[in-house]
Amino acid sequence: MRKDSISLLVALLFVLMTCGTVFAGHLEPFAGVPVQVKNPQTPEKTELGKQLFFDRRLSGDGTMSCATCHMPELAFTDGQDISLSYPTTKNWRNSPTLINVVFQKYLFHDGRSKTLEDQALFPMMSAFEMNKNLDFLEEQLRQVPAYVDSFRRVFNGEITRERIAMAIAAFERTLVSVNSPLDRFLRGDQKALSDEARKGLEVFEGKGKCADCHYGVNLSDDKFFALHVPENQALLNDPRVTATMRFVAKVYHYKDYRDLKEDPGRYLITKKKQDWKAFRTPTLRDIARTAPYMHNGVLATLDEVIDFFDRGGGEGNKALKPLGLTDDEKKALKTFMVEALSGDEIRIAYPAVP
Amino acid sequence: METYKGKVRLVIKNYPYKYRDYSHMAAEASLAAGDQGKYCEMHDLLLKNSPRLDRDSVIRYAKELGLDMKAFTASIEGFKHAAIIERDKKLAVDMDLYNTPTFFINGRKVIGNRSYEYLRKIVDEELKNAKR
Repeated sequence: MRKDSISLLVALLFVLMTCGTVFAGHLEPFAGVPVQVKNPQTPEKTELGKQLFFDRRLSGDGTMSCATCHMPELAFTDGQDISLSYPTTKNWRNSPTLINVVFQKYLFHDGRSKTLEDQALFPMMSAFEMNKNLDFLEEQLRQVPAYVDSFRRVFNGEITRERIAMAIAAFERTLVSVNSPLDRFLRGDQKALSDEARKGLEVFEGKGKCADCHYGVNLSDDKFFALHVPENQALLNDPRVTATMRFVAKVYHYKDYRDLKEDPGRYLITKKKQDWKAFRTPTLRDIARTAPYMHNGVLATLDEVIDFFDRGGGEGNKALKPLGLTDDEKKALKTFMVEALSGDEIRIAYPAVP
Repeated sequence: METYKGKVRLVIKNYPYKYRDYSHMAAEASLAAGDQGKYCEMHDLLLKNSPRLDRDSVIRYAKELGLDMKAFTASIEGFKHAAIIERDKKLAVDMDLYNTPTFFINGRKVIGNRSYEYLRKIVDEELKNAKR
């Protein structure tokens, strides 16, 4: 083999090895939402979905709608570390934003749903969320003439739980982060980011390794990692939380659910060892508006999140390594996340619920 | 309230949960204690001991607070504050409120049980705005 061929081979091997260890995903600007073949978007359907989203009939005691935990004013979160819950019960996880759910391959922190149509019914049925019997809900809504008309118009049929979920999903797919400085920058507007945000982008894609998992248009790889996020102390000794946790574990056929003391994460769904305490990579779009952070809301600010990743994540995790970011790099990274990733604020006119 | 003495006024409205047996009793008990200057103390005890809010329990809490038991018992058994509680409930419904607790901090609506830090941040912001 000639000497230059050997050099080329060595160089190629080096590139391959480097790619294997350092991978920064490609960031993409928003360019539209995926077309929904099974549940086509129509203005009438999204409007119906919006009405249902704000309708408290969807909860057992009439006090909660989807918007209770996904408030438009709080970037479709509830701003709590642990999500609000059905009266007298306690939730166990943070309420994730609905912004850009249209892009998610998995829903919920543990990814138990693969479509919004499937997802939408879970909280309604959940004893510690909306606690609604769906057979009863169907009959209730069938007594509301405006809904009967709307479902006939939109679906050419009667009210069913599946169509309720389809309408809500259609509405949720309209909640998209657009026109952020990052979008404009990626489309070629060099002035869209401040110098500090540009530095932050370099950290994001380089030393900070954020883009290893947060890439694509939604800044998420749709995968699950066990980062060993610290436990939320507020959850540990609350019997109501223990009841919630063990109830969910029981539903998912976790054998030792009555001894469960911590959130098993995706393990509950897959029963795979590597998924123990693993949670979905969330979007970073509009991240400045969706505090507090992580599946249990234990990190209150972006500074805390950056410090957590800089330390190499939680104790004993195998997914992350310490980053060694300087204070300036952390500051620039935060600036990037706050300035560059915030899209136009989604303003929702509250609908008149029939 | 101690931190913001002279700067903040706290107004509490009753909104007993419609599906709990003893929530109205608890509202009556806190207002009855309030007649004897122990509203906050009773309020704290009720939250701490929830859901044990039956008649015997609230009477026990009243004794703990050293209240005049004759007056307290007559108040809760005679539903002395029912009109106030009903008025507050109507106000909540008129304002389309369904979650407890719901706070209005200088008009800013905050739903759900929040940490002190969370509320303090908003109070500080509103005090700053008020000074302008």
